[in-house]
Parts: sequence; structure tokens; C-alpha cells
Amino acid sequence: MARIRFEHVEKKYSNGFHAVKDLNLDIQDKEFIVLLGPSGCGKSTTLNMIAGLEDISDGALRFDDEIVNFAPPHRRDVAMVFQSYALYPHKSVFDNIGFGLKMRKVPRDEIERRVREAAGKLEIDHLLDRRPSQLSGGQRQRVALGRAMVREPAAFLMDEPLSNLDAALRISMRAEIKELHRAMQTTFVYVTHDQAEALTLADRIVVMNDGVVQQIGTPDDIYERPKNTFVASFLGNPPINYIDGQIESTDGSTARFRRGDLAFDLPASIAAKLGSSHGREVRLGIRAEDVDETAAGAAGSVIRGKVNSILPVGSDQFLGFDLAGQELFFRVGKDLAHNLGDDVALSVDLNRLHLFDKDSGETLLW
Amino acid sequence: MTDTVSPSGRGRRLRQRFGYDERNAALFLAPVMVVLMGVAVFPILYSLYLSFFRIKLTRPNQTPFVWFDNYTDLFSNELFWVSVWRTVTFSVVSVSAIAVIALLVSLLLNQEFRGRRVLSTILLIPWAIPYVANALMWKWIYDSGYGALNGLLYQLDFIDKYMIWLGDQDKTIFLIANAFVWKEVPLATILLLVSLKAIPADLYQAARVDGANIWQRFFHITLPAMKPGFMLVMIYETMMAIRHFDLFFILTEGGPGDASHVLSWHIYVETFRNLSFGSGAAMSYVLALVTFALSYIFIRTLGRRI
Ligand SMILES: Nc1ncnc2c1ncn2[C@@H]1O[C@H](COP(=O)(O)OP(=O)(O)O)[C@@H](O)[C@H]1O
Ligand SMILES: [Mg+2]
Repeated sequence: MARIRFEHVEKKYSNGFHAVKDLNLDIQDKEFIVLLGPSGCGKSTTLNMIAGLEDISDGALRFDDEIVNFAPPHRRDVAMVFQSYALYPHKSVFDNIGFGLKMRKVPRDEIERRVREAAGKLEIDHLLDRRPSQLSGGQRQRVALGRAMVREPAAFLMDEPLSNLDAALRISMRAEIKELHRAMQTTFVYVTHDQAEALTLADRIVVMNDGVVQQIGTPDDIYERPKNTFVASFLGNPPINYIDGQIESTDGSTARFRRGDLAFDLPASIAAKLGSSHGREVRLGIRAEDVDETAAGAAGSVIRGKVNSILPVGSDQFLGFDLAGQELFFRVGKDLAHNLGDDVALSVDLNRLHLFDKDSGETLLW
Repeated sequence: MTDTVSPSGRGRRLRQRFGYDERNAALFLAPVMVVLMGVAVFPILYSLYLSFFRIKLTRPNQTPFVWFDNYTDLFSNELFWVSVWRTVTFSVVSVSAIAVIALLVSLLLNQEFRGRRVLSTILLIPWAIPYVANALMWKWIYDSGYGALNGLLYQLDFIDKYMIWLGDQDKTIFLIANAFVWKEVPLATILLLVSLKAIPADLYQAARVDGANIWQRFFHITLPAMKPGFMLVMIYETMMAIRHFDLFFILTEGGPGDASHVLSWHIYVETFRNLSFGSGAAMSYVLALVTFALSYIFIRTLGRRI
């Protein structure tokens, strides 16, 4: 049972590198939190601070109400799964899984029972006598999970646990991890740079960049209502398209986005949030999938350009689209036949537009 | 992709190329092979041949073929058994000391601290010194008249007069072992350090999260990971110790009495002082076989499950 709270937490490494800046995060008991961000943004550092593997330079880390800044790892009742799995190479699978219990002086028969139970759940009970070197990547992954499971910890920490698996296995393991969370009824903190993993698994996602939290929210919040251009760009495949332009003629009820010939009549819901911002420089965001070709027509919602590239991706196709020299990418149905160089008109779902301040990149909408 | 070369055609081409490569390789290797034959293989076989004759250079005209007499005589020779015992003492003492010291030093050098690089470099110096130079250096250090050891201990008031260190039957073999250890520790340290450096850091992190304290981490992660390096050190240093000659030759010549009369010294005396080449060759063969057997035992016992 653990609620984990970061209060103004800072992490400076001994070489002076400021890896985590003013981190405030309240992880609820039994919550599945995903730390998402590009490589080097401080996700592992944050996770290691929870585990007690890295010192906290400033601020407070609380488990429930107790400050644990200085508690060593074994006092924190957390279990961790590493990207490399970090299995003990000289120990059998059984001893790997049971090691944490043995160190905690759990009686032998109890260890035996719990290891076999965990191995059974993970379907690795036939591998208990093997050594890690005799296992496949997926099997090692399961052993690493098992080692964390048997501890029945208050918090389950995972640092990119699936990134060494092949694509198919990665997707099936996602489902298993989600099931594991449901079964274990405990707090999960999961680190990944893979947006799809984050969106699938998380109750809430923490998006980080350069050691700074960009946004905390449900997958839906993060994807539908990104707080800034970094978050908007980091999620979505292909990434969101930006068009820089100006807001015109705002009287509080109608507004129009314009760049040259291109103009969008913004719906009332968006216009209302803009207030009086006539002439404001903005960055418009259109998610790749928020266009439709068939409904092309209504002026004020159409974007025209030339097809630059076509990338079929099985169910859909990505359309590279030239808008006055700027390359945009859209995701359209594969039944739409285009040739390179064709002029196309796409109608944009205006209710799903994103608007950001051009200079700060902060959202203007929520 | 289409491959236009039929399997058999490709096979033939491969075979031709392979044959060509092999012939070339043989050509390039031939000179080395000839030299090796001359300086290694021939002497080895010739000394085996010699070991079946009674050859004394003092009686060059009588070299009878004696079957295994040289070997059987050896085992009834009291001095031979003394030398075996001295060799065992010397080897056990040196190899254990080398293993323990190298273990500690490699653990130290595996830590991050200021001056680690400088220390590692300094530590390598003994390794770079030739065996004979090392022996001469220790001859100076142990010298009874002007030796550094006497000087140091005297100035520190540990002794009240200069000692003839190497003249003390009980101490000699240990003093020689000390000189040997000093020379061998650097290499052993490096061999161990290599296995230490290969341990992934996240194993220790995992063990900390699992609740292992520093000793448990050492015993469950560090030691098992060092086993291959440790085995290498034990085998290599045992072979070096068993066969070591330079220090005994330069420091004590087997003395005082037979206090440092090790096997290699025994062989030297038999061969080059008594000029008894047949039995000298036989002893060399015994020494080689013992070395061989020991490495085999090491590999079988320590090497299991690596
Ligand atoms: N021990 C360390 N000393 C100095 N800098 C470090 C150390 N560990 C990580 N860093 C730096 O901190 C930043 C965040 O690292 P990390 O938390 O591992 O990122 P990631 O989000 O990829 O997990 C990186 O720029 C990394 O180079
Ligand atoms: Mg990381």
C-alpha cells in the first residue's frame, strides 16, 4: 500500500548535471503511473529515486506520509524490473526469483511456495532449474517480473521492461503487465519512451522533458488535451502537424485562423477560449488522423496541397503533403487512391484542432 | 532475390577459394613452423629421449640406455623429496598471498576515487620489471650489510642489529616468496579487475532493491563473477611458482642448507652442476607433468559451472 509523493524534488548528479527539476507528483495507491519522455529526460533518475538507488538532492519524497529521502532501498518495500532484466547470472531461475525473499530471511518453505506460485502464474515453472543464459529474451523478462512479484511489494517499479523484446512479444507483454497490475492491486511506476505503451498501460501519464514535467494526466488528457507543443508532438503517429498563423476577427463568439490563403473557421467552443486575441500569433496543431478526404467541401475547414509521399502502413496510409513548402503528414484510409504530385483537398475536423501560443508553445485551449 | 549460382557451382567455388586460402596460409606459416620445430618441438622430444639414458658429461663415452632408471632413482632420492616439499611450500604460500592481495587491490581499484589512475599505473611497475632484475633488486633489499630492509627496520627500532635475513633457514623461503608475490601481484590484479569491470552495475542495483547488504552483494554477485578470472590467476600463478628459478638462483642458490632447494633448483644442480643430463631431463619431465596435472585439477574443480 503506497502513495508516493514528490514535493519539489531536485536531482543534481555529482558532476553537476541537473537531471530532475522541481518534480511534484502525487502517485495514488494502486495507481498505474507511466513516466514518458525521450531518452535522457530523467525518467530512470526519477524511478531510481523512488527505489532509493539515487540520492535526492532537494525536496521531499514521501511514501504515504513518511519522508523516505534517506531510507535505503531495502527499507522502501519496492520491487524493480530493469531494462536489462539484471538477472543474477550465476543463480538458477528459482534462486533469482527467491533472492529477495532469502535476503529478507523468509523461511525456506515459504520461499519455495511463493516462487512456485509466481512461476506458475508467469508460466515459467518448467524453467526453474535453468540459468539466465539458457533462457530466451521473453523468458528472462518473465523471470525479472517473477523476481519482483514474489516480494509482494508496496510499489512495483519498471524501467523500460519491454524495450529489449521483439515487437510482437512487446505487445502481448503489455496485456500481461496490465493484468499483473490488476491482480497485484499495488502501485506501479513504469518508465518508457514508447507512447503506445504509455497510452495502453497508464492510469495517468507523466510526460517529462529535460528533467521537467510537461504534463500529468490520463492518457486521454495527454493525447486529446496536450498542454504544450512538446507533449502534442511526443504522442501521435505520425506526429501532429503545426501551421503557424494568426487569429482574426475575434469578438468572443467567432474566430478565424489564417495563414495566407489558408483559413479555418474555429468552432465556438474554441473561439470562446481565445477571448479577445485578434492578431495573435499562434501555432495551429492538426493531428495526423484528424482529416477526412471524402467530406471535402465546406469552406473554412479545407486544406489544399500536393501529395509528396505515400507510405502505406497496412490498415492506413500516411500521406506526405506539401503545403506551400511545408511538409505535413496525414493518416488517411488506404482506399483513397492518390498519385505523387496530385493536388488534394482534405477537410479538417475543426473540433479537434489544437492551438498553442507561438512563442511559449503553451496551449491556448485548456 | 534470386541467386544465379547453383549450389554445386557455389560449393566448388568455395572449395577452390578455401583450398587456395589454405595453401597460402600454409606457405606463410611454414617459416614459423620450421623455427618452432627447431627451438621447441625438437628439444622437448630430445629431452624425453635423453631421459632414458644415463648421460654424465664427466663420462661422455658411457651413455647406456637405462629405461626408466632415471625416473625410479629420482623417487628414491631424499633431496628430490626435500625439493618437492620446498616447492610445495613456496607455491602454496605465494599463490595464496597473490590471490588474496590481488583480490583486495582489484576491489580497491574498481572503486571510483581521486588518484585511481595514478595508483593503477604505479601498481603496474613490478610487472614491467624482468625476473632477473627483480631478483637482483631483492638481493639488495635483503642484504645483510647494506640492505634496505635492515636499514628500515633498524631505523624504526624493530631490530637492534642488522640481520642476515636470507641466512635464516626458517625465513628464507618466505622471504623469497615475498619477492615473488611483489612481482606477480600486478598481473593477477589486472586479470581480476577485468572480471570486476565486466559486472553490470544494475546487478548491484537489483540486489540492493532485493535487500542484499554490501557483504551479500559481494558474495552473491562479485565473487561468482570473479570466478573465471580467479581460476586464471590460480592456474597461471601456480605454474609460475612451481617452475620459478631466477629468485632461487640469484638470492640463495638453494640455501642455506637445503632451505630453498626447490625442484627447479634441484634440476639445475643435477643438470648443470652434476652434469647429469639424463636424470635432469627426467626431472624436468616430472615437473612438467605435475604442472600439467595441477592445471587440469584446477580447471576441473574451479572451472565447473562457469
Ligand atoms: N550518474 C550520472 N551522473 C551524471 N549524469 C547522469 C548520471 N546518470 C544519468 N545522468 C544524466 O541524467 C540524464 C537523465 O538520465 P536518465 O534518468 O537515465 O534518463 P532516461 O529518461 O533516459 O531514463 C541524462 O542526461 C544522463 O546523461
Ligand atoms: Mg532510462
